[in-house]
Amino acid sequence: MPKKVFIFDDNNDILELCTLILEDAGYEIKTSATSNNIIEQVLAYMPDIIFMDNWLPDVGGIEATQELKAHPDLKHIPVIYFSANNDVSALANKAGADSFLAKPFDIHTLEEIVSTHIGK
Amino acid sequence: MKNCDALLIGGSAGSLDVLIKVLPSIAIDITFPIIIVLHRKKGTDSLLSDLLSSKTKLIVKEVEEKENILPRTIYIVPSDYHLLIEKDFTFSLDYSEKVNYSRPSIDVTFQSAAEVYKDKLVCLLLSGSNADGVNGLITVKEFGGEIVVQDPKTAQVDYMPGQAILRANVDEVLEIEQMADYINNLK
Repeated sequence: MPKKVFIFDDNNDILELCTLILEDAGYEIKTSATSNNIIEQVLAYMPDIIFMDNWLPDVGGIEATQELKAHPDLKHIPVIYFSANNDVSALANKAGADSFLAKPFDIHTLEEIVSTHIGK
Repeated sequence: MKNCDALLIGGSAGSLDVLIKVLPSIAIDITFPIIIVLHRKKGTDSLLSDLLSSKTKLIVKEVEEKENILPRTIYIVPSDYHLLIEKDFTFSLDYSEKVNYSRPSIDVTFQSAAEVYKDKLVCLLLSGSNADGVNGLITVKEFGGEIVVQDPKTAQVDYMPGQAILRANVDEVLEIEQMADYINNLK
């Protein structure tokens, strides 16, 4: 069974590119452009890792990540916070994310951060 | 067989998937540059170049201002700039107003290339959700170039190639599986 990646971002180009790249690398991908009902979305897919954009419609990346990390069945799933904001590491810290990825990023950085957290 | 000094490919929604399928089958000994104009938002430039580069042995690079256009190279237009082809076969990047709500605009690049390459230009228009590129194709045809579109039946979003077929006198309509052979036969 391929490992599952759930990407939250409101930029369709990011979602499309990350999906193509990570599918090529052997992962299964689901994407969403909203943090609305974040718990229900994640429970329905149960990914191995989550990418969370900072500027996400509805509650936003920080609150969405905090909700995930407060949920007993979801808090173990690594959340990678990604943003073009200069303070992405501070934002990730505030959200309680496991790691962060500064935008723009390249293909190797993306693949490496996924494999570091969940393997191939 | 069409004489080709440059192949331009334009696309919007649904076109990246086509490129990923076609690029691996493009021969490494093609004798012309391939210039790709895709609608997209800022912040994805290096990811797009990396992804396309992973699908071909040809050189893939983002266009740089005033750069000479070389054969056997795939050029990607950076997001948020219009790309113009200059008469001395160099690139020019332009930050003027959006055209067809788009920057880069496919029309802008196709039209400027038509004036430079004239009857030795081939332009391919892929899947997309607006009609950017169609006026460009009409201009390319007026200058004697060849215009080709993705078969709308195979497009994720058929509006862009559909409008081209309606409004331009298209030379070829290609399914995705036919595109690499078509490109490899250009000389």
